[in-house]
Amino acid sequence: MAKVSQIDIRDLSYTIEDKQILDGMSLSLAEQRVGVVGRNGSGKSTFARLVAGLVAPTKGTIRVNDLNLAKDRRAAMGEVGILFQNPEHQIIFPTVGEEIAFGLQQQGASKSAATEAMLDILDQFSLSHWKEAYIATLSQGQKHLVTLMSVVAMKPALLVLDEPFAGLDIPTKAQMKRYLNLYEGSLLHITHDPGDLEAYDSIIWIDQGRIQNVGSKEEVFPVYLEAMNRLGEHDDLADLSG
Amino acid sequence: MERNVVLIALFAALIAALGLVPKLTLGSGIPITAQSMGIMLCGTVLGAKRGALAVLLFVVLVAAGLPLLAGGRGGLGVFTTPWAGFYFGFPIAAFVAGYVMEKWTSGNVSVIAGVAAVIGGIGALYLVAVPYYMVMKPAGLGEAILTAMVPFMPGDLIKAVLAGLITGALYKARPSSVLSRTNAA
Amino acid sequence: MISLTSPVRTRAHDWPAPFKLFALAVATFVLFLVNDLWLMGAALAVTLGLYALPGAVFFKAGIRRLKVLWPFLVILGVWHLVTATYEEGAQIILRLLAAVGLANLVTMTTALNEMIEVIRWLATPLRRFGLHTRALELAIALVIRILPTLVDNGTRLSDAWRARSRRRPGWRVVVPFTLLALDDADHLAEALRARGGFLE
Repeated sequence: MAKVSQIDIRDLSYTIEDKQILDGMSLSLAEQRVGVVGRNGSGKSTFARLVAGLVAPTKGTIRVNDLNLAKDRRAAMGEVGILFQNPEHQIIFPTVGEEIAFGLQQQGASKSAATEAMLDILDQFSLSHWKEAYIATLSQGQKHLVTLMSVVAMKPALLVLDEPFAGLDIPTKAQMKRYLNLYEGSLLHITHDPGDLEAYDSIIWIDQGRIQNVGSKEEVFPVYLEAMNRLGEHDDLADLSG
Repeated sequence: MERNVVLIALFAALIAALGLVPKLTLGSGIPITAQSMGIMLCGTVLGAKRGALAVLLFVVLVAAGLPLLAGGRGGLGVFTTPWAGFYFGFPIAAFVAGYVMEKWTSGNVSVIAGVAAVIGGIGALYLVAVPYYMVMKPAGLGEAILTAMVPFMPGDLIKAVLAGLITGALYKARPSSVLSRTNAA
Repeated sequence: MISLTSPVRTRAHDWPAPFKLFALAVATFVLFLVNDLWLMGAALAVTLGLYALPGAVFFKAGIRRLKVLWPFLVILGVWHLVTATYEEGAQIILRLLAAVGLANLVTMTTALNEMIEVIRWLATPLRRFGLHTRALELAIALVIRILPTLVDNGTRLSDAWRARSRRRPGWRVVVPFTLLALDDADHLAEALRARGGFLE
């Protein structure tokens, strides 16, 4: 596979109930590993949902591999997958096996083919004994792993990660990182922590719904970190917006 | 579509959860199980159609053998007593409560929801449950009212008031959360 | 999720669910036609006999599930004592126990997924009226998936309440509980959409 996904964004704006979340973004990218950084509430997560086609832009266009994924959900299944920050928000089924098989069936696989592929992926992660396990009995880190397996099983060309490491302990995070580094498709990784993006080619910095900076990590990180540290000395938590 | 299916499943689970969480206590210290309040809330919060489907899903899962009724009861045995009319009446109760909510659009949400809960969760429910009891036991009207209605009435009235207050509080906290108000599905 | 299916394996576990349900429907119907105290007593004895067949563990589990009927039996008992209709009362109580006993027996010997299969089969004709059977299946899975999360949320909120109050949680706790659940619903709807939702 190792296909590089092409993301094209033109004049993208997104508003929820009169609140401007993203404002006039334009961007064209084709990299294997793209990181997106920004503060809490900067619009990163909305950006992720737009790229994944979960919501359609209020204004402008967004195309992934020349497809409008918000419209063409059927094509979206093979094109893009998204890993949410909170596994509770992603897991639909009571058992691990059902959760993984669901996406494969959604891609059009027959029940038996989906089961087979599900067993394959569990085997790849050396977790075959998890098939019948109930989600409710898993630890937080284990749930993260289930969400990762369910998305990876679908082999999307572009995998969008929305703060995938938030709240994970060090070993779980290291394991997740290792799996992700091996992923053959493209990654778009949203995080507030530059430390998560060591292996990334290209960085987008989003601030207050706009693109602040795009470039290599050597170009973006120093300015980003300086700005973040400067803000840390201020008291802007007290500001109420909208 | 996705959202409606999730909401229906969620409220079915919510009815079950209200039967499982530790009992709530009223100001006077009387513990109540909140389950039948969950039926009313399905109607007042979700509206007629989605509310009825959520309750129907809940009842179907109880029949399928999940111990979702208060006290961990469930299975087919629940449906072979003369009181089973309540379970058959639950979806109708939610529908009627939701219908009242949707039609009566101006005024205090708590009051309207309270009245809707009484009309649906008590009126419509007993209109199904009492005749069912009369046929299945079999019993006369007087006996049915005394043994299938009177014992549960005080609790149900309290729950209708609470369902009204809760719906009102939800509307105040986040108007969009009371779907019977914001959009007809 | 624990279902009410008995872990004690019986021969009836292997019988097809539709057959058991049909037999139950017939038996229940007959029970409601019979109007004889002795026959009713015999019916209950047969039911209890069926419970005893797989052994003591199964029998005890079955009796425990009948015991929860006691408030209803009290209501019936009091009514028939007061109205001095003893024979009728006895017959109704015996019928109730036999009918519930038989129905529980089917539940105890049928796996949840077999029951769900029957439900899906029963729902198939409803497709014509616009019922989405795939949505029904998904909704069933979702309920079983969401319930433990809801119970966790409820416990967490109760704890948060008790951490700052000497009283037990009141009804007000249902409001944040529901709001939290509605947030989860939005997220799950999105998760469903992320993996195709209802494409057909």
